[in-house]
Amino acid sequence: MKPFAKPWMALLLAGFLLVTLSSVAHAVSLSQESLPGNEVCLACHQTPGQILTLDNGEQLYVTILPEEYGKSVHAKNGVACAMCHSDMFGYPHPAKDLSSLRAYRKQYQNTCKVCHADKYELDSVHRRAFESGNELAPTCIDCHNPHTQAQVKDEQGNLIPEELGKSPEVCSQCHFGIYQEYSQSVHGKAAREGNPDVPVCITCHGLHVIEDPTTTQFRLASPKMCGECHSNPEIMNKYGLSTDVYNTYVADFHGSTVTLFERISPDQQTNKAVCYDCHGVHNIGDVDDPMVGLGMKQNMLKACQKCHPDATENFPDSWMSHYRPDREKFPLVYYVNLFYKIFIPLVLGGMAVFVASDIFYRVRRALSRRKPAQPVQPAAEPPQTPEPSEAAQETGKEE
Amino acid sequence: MSEQTKTYQRFNIAQRIEHFVLILSFTLLALTGLPQKFFFSDISQAIIAAFGGIESIRIVHRVAATVFCLQAIYHLVVMGYKLYVLRVEPSMLPGIKDAQDAIQWFLFNIGLRKERPKMPRYNFMEKMEYWAMVWGLVIMALTGFMLWNPIATSRVLPGVVIPAAKAAHGAEAILAVLAIILWHFYNVHIKHWNWSMIKGTLSREEMEEEHALELEQIERGALPPRPAPEVIRKRMRIYVPIASVVGLALTAGVIYFITFEQTSITTIPRPEEASQVIVLRSPTPLPTVLPTETPQPQPTTEAAPTGALTWEGSIGKIMVARCGSCHGSLGGLNLKNYADAMRGGKSGAAILPGDAQGSLLVQTVQGGKHPGKFTDDELQKVIEWIQSGAPEK
Repeated sequence: MKPFAKPWMALLLAGFLLVTLSSVAHAVSLSQESLPGNEVCLACHQTPGQILTLDNGEQLYVTILPEEYGKSVHAKNGVACAMCHSDMFGYPHPAKDLSSLRAYRKQYQNTCKVCHADKYELDSVHRRAFESGNELAPTCIDCHNPHTQAQVKDEQGNLIPEELGKSPEVCSQCHFGIYQEYSQSVHGKAAREGNPDVPVCITCHGLHVIEDPTTTQFRLASPKMCGECHSNPEIMNKYGLSTDVYNTYVADFHGSTVTLFERISPDQQTNKAVCYDCHGVHNIGDVDDPMVGLGMKQNMLKACQKCHPDATENFPDSWMSHYRPDREKFPLVYYVNLFYKIFIPLVLGGMAVFVASDIFYRVRRALSRRKPAQPVQPAAEPPQTPEPSEAAQETGKEE
Repeated sequence: MSEQTKTYQRFNIAQRIEHFVLILSFTLLALTGLPQKFFFSDISQAIIAAFGGIESIRIVHRVAATVFCLQAIYHLVVMGYKLYVLRVEPSMLPGIKDAQDAIQWFLFNIGLRKERPKMPRYNFMEKMEYWAMVWGLVIMALTGFMLWNPIATSRVLPGVVIPAAKAAHGAEAILAVLAIILWHFYNVHIKHWNWSMIKGTLSREEMEEEHALELEQIERGALPPRPAPEVIRKRMRIYVPIASVVGLALTAGVIYFITFEQTSITTIPRPEEASQVIVLRSPTPLPTVLPTETPQPQPTTEAAPTGALTWEGSIGKIMVARCGSCHGSLGGLNLKNYADAMRGGKSGAAILPGDAQGSLLVQTVQGGKHPGKFTDDELQKVIEWIQSGAPEK
């Protein structure tokens, strides 16, 4: 398997690991001060079913089950309740904004900074949405329930496949429509089975650094993103998939255009298709899928017609379906190429022979003119006079 | 004017202009076409960027292609005029003599033949170039039309002809450009500079070398005379209508073809717009254990300790078990040892010896809002203990 779809994910995790380790040390030193121990909090909060009804009627679940919390990465690293709930000492607890769940949770917006300050440096659509005042924008704890967040990487720092497979559930809280599409897709189905080879949300959209996927830049760069896995023989060979799909895409009209746009004017949009225009964005199906698979001619035609509404039955064959032409697949193209592979050298070679002979003649003439005293030339000439009449005319003219 | 400085008219001004337009359209086609074929190289991308990007370079390519095709139509009309009206010798037609000339030319060059072949008005080199041009034009126009109008093409032909046309269009372009460089540039610019397409004339020496047969005809006065004006007029009455119709039809055809289809929609496909990005998942129901109004701290022992009604006897144990988890570590009131317990917390003394009902501790616990609670038995003992002066021993 490829542990990281993107190198920066590895970097991020390495960073995460560093910060976590240092924060554990931090946590230990803090807890050795006069912080109340977890048993103080759990004395009340481990009682099941404690629900605080907020001012707007929403419910806040305030039970922490020790056995569940114990499985979390925070518990494993010895993070005490009081480290995050540092203002909760004493009873009755200090007043908090309990007007709504959102208001309550926002109060913890900077809590994670103590240990995870690096994540606060990162830019993402969510951060921008939050800063623009979008009340749906997630904060850390909306994705990472701090009481249950599992360890996501193993000792070597690799993402644990099961956790990776579960990660779409996190995104599904707000992107449920897309999640439903995804979970029916060829990637989503395999991800649910714990297959580490398929992309989950974060593989394409990034982790913490989530780009806006509606931008021109994202669209133009997207084929490369798909190509990263789909050109990797280590992954593709397992499923008998071609590693040539990216190259063949780029070699064709759509791909060349998109590549040129990306290289020359990455801020300009092009209407030429990228991978997901034909294969779907989140609902990518197996090519053999009778409903959406592009291996089915009718599906392919439908895909073409999205941009080429006048396309008819033959039109999809004008796209070589990611194949390189050979004797079996698209033989006409293969033979055209073969013809020119022979024809071009033949024509140019023939021309070159004539050109070379002319150069030879001119060089020889120039040399003989430079050395007019050479007796070799006139001596050599007389024996070869096959056609005397023409020869006489010729010499007569040249003098 | 001596024999050597005498010049021979070769191309009239119309032919030279035609050639100049051909240079422009061909060069532009090559300059805008080859970077599309080899788009991955830096120099191609620099050229494409210089033309304003791939979409605009394609437009320039198509404009040049249109000029190229219109010029071919013009050439056809002129050819018809020359062959039908003027009845000039079809000097561009290749024949066996050209093959012989080619062989003799080659043999002469390498020294196996004493003299050059005497070549006609258009020698084998020029014929080769001319017909290569015609061949290239037909291939490029046909495949270019297919690439320009893939939907129309695939209505009548299998779809695979589109990528095949693309392959042929690109390969033929390479052939054409390389042939121009190797054959044309060598023969008219490198071996000696040929002025005939600029000045319109060739020198006697050039005529001798490349068109000796024509030169002989000129000198013998053996060239066929121009037809009489009345003959020309008569033929023109037939030719002009035919040429007009054919020429206009071909021109209309070119214009029809270049505006034939709208291959694709111009808007950007945005399939993601179809699905809503943010759809909140209905939250997982909270665990449905009935909430307890005031949770009970877990007592270490269920039964109240029995013993003397003193701190050390039993009250201290009750306090530590019931209250110690909070009141002993959170600051403020500490009920884990006698001295602190008697000192009280932030709200002052919690225990007033001899006044159980006045003690904050009893009031708080009996108030019902404190999370920690004693059992009735324990509370009774605590009250009794305070009432009795809250002794330590």
